[in-house]
Amino acid sequence: MRNLLNFLAKYNHLIVFIILEGIALYMLGTANNYHNTRIVRGIRSVTSNFEKRVNNTRSYFQLRTISQSLSRENASLRSTIDRISPNAEQLFFSVTDTIRHQHYTYTSAEVVSNSVNRQKNFFTINKGKLQGMSTDMAVISDGCAAGVIVGCSNNYSVAMSLLNIDFKLSARIKSNGYFGSLSWDGKDYRTVILNEIPQHVTFGIGDTIETTGYSAIFPEGITIGTVKHFEKSGGDFYKIEVSVANDFRQLRFVNVIGNLLREEQIGLEKQFQ
Amino acid sequence: MINRILRIGLIFILLILLQVLLFNNIQFSGYVNPYIYIMFILLLPFEIPAWLLLIISFLTGFTIDVISGTPGMHSAATVVAGFVRPIVLRVISPREGYELSPNPSMFIYGFRWFLIYASIIVFIHHTTLFYLEVFRLADFFRTILRVILSTAFSVTFIVLLEYIRKGK
Repeated sequence: MRNLLNFLAKYNHLIVFIILEGIALYMLGTANNYHNTRIVRGIRSVTSNFEKRVNNTRSYFQLRTISQSLSRENASLRSTIDRISPNAEQLFFSVTDTIRHQHYTYTSAEVVSNSVNRQKNFFTINKGKLQGMSTDMAVISDGCAAGVIVGCSNNYSVAMSLLNIDFKLSARIKSNGYFGSLSWDGKDYRTVILNEIPQHVTFGIGDTIETTGYSAIFPEGITIGTVKHFEKSGGDFYKIEVSVANDFRQLRFVNVIGNLLREEQIGLEKQFQ
Repeated sequence: MINRILRIGLIFILLILLQVLLFNNIQFSGYVNPYIYIMFILLLPFEIPAWLLLIISFLTGFTIDVISGTPGMHSAATVVAGFVRPIVLRVISPREGYELSPNPSMFIYGFRWFLIYASIIVFIHHTTLFYLEVFRLADFFRTILRVILSTAFSVTFIVLLEYIRKGK
């Protein structure tokens, strides 16, 4: 305290100077329009640069939220498209037409747990019964087939991944339409096997493999992957190795596709089996 | 004592009036704006305490600010001048010190001493004032030219006023 008083006594003129100069500069800055503008502009040019950097960083951390909302929007847009144009060949239709039905519904979801290294791989998504999920809905990621929902709780669903040796999917070669049965051999998480393509069919490495829609789970024309390698596996069929389009290790945002007409199709088919 | 304070007050009023009524209206070609009211800071007695000098400086500048409608500008410059005055006095003190007269005076301490004393303080005052006025460094050399020319004119007028003050 004594030191402080000594200090104040010794430098009293300096302190008075700083106070008075501060008052003067404050008046200068606030009362004069010109000076005020220049100060604000000067400060802003410094802070705006800084703010830009902060904003950049912050938007990077928000990417997760942003992509979630985009994926949600995507799903709702797909739903809308499907409602507006049920099929392409039907160019003219009445808006109140009762024959016209929405065929598929789209819902976005996020993968909360996943595995690729087992023989029977499943993944869990954060939407369940309360969000309208049910079993036998198709799961796609980036427009490519990822799996099928096999069980639902209120808020979560478990989907059987494409990488499950029990998984069977009807798939076809996009270029010529020949279809076969797709399954996984449990070896490499980047490769699935397409069987039952007859040997007279011509196709090449790199041809796209897509879903057929016969199973009433996946809509037709969903990409699965591309032909990586093929060989004659005895009999009359090719065994085609398909490299999957999705990276299942990075599966994150998915769309769940519900087939609204599935019951009808299955019901009808059952009558003849 | 009372007499001296009255005298100082009279100088103050005269200088302010001179500045506001006459010198504020002088403007040669935009480069010369003499500010002679700073002479009041020059003429204050030697033994005045530093804090009182600063407060008087502030009030002087503030008076000019109020009259010429430039809040803060002259106050800031004059406070700087008041702050450097004791330092300048210490640096340029004559060999025999400031014993001869309690007030800085050209006729007691010599023309040369007074010229240096006035020039330094007026230059510092004008530098602060003009740079605060333009408030940017873009026209740096143009402003420094204004400072130098205005300082020359102000010092000339201050010396003339000092002659008039003595002649009276």
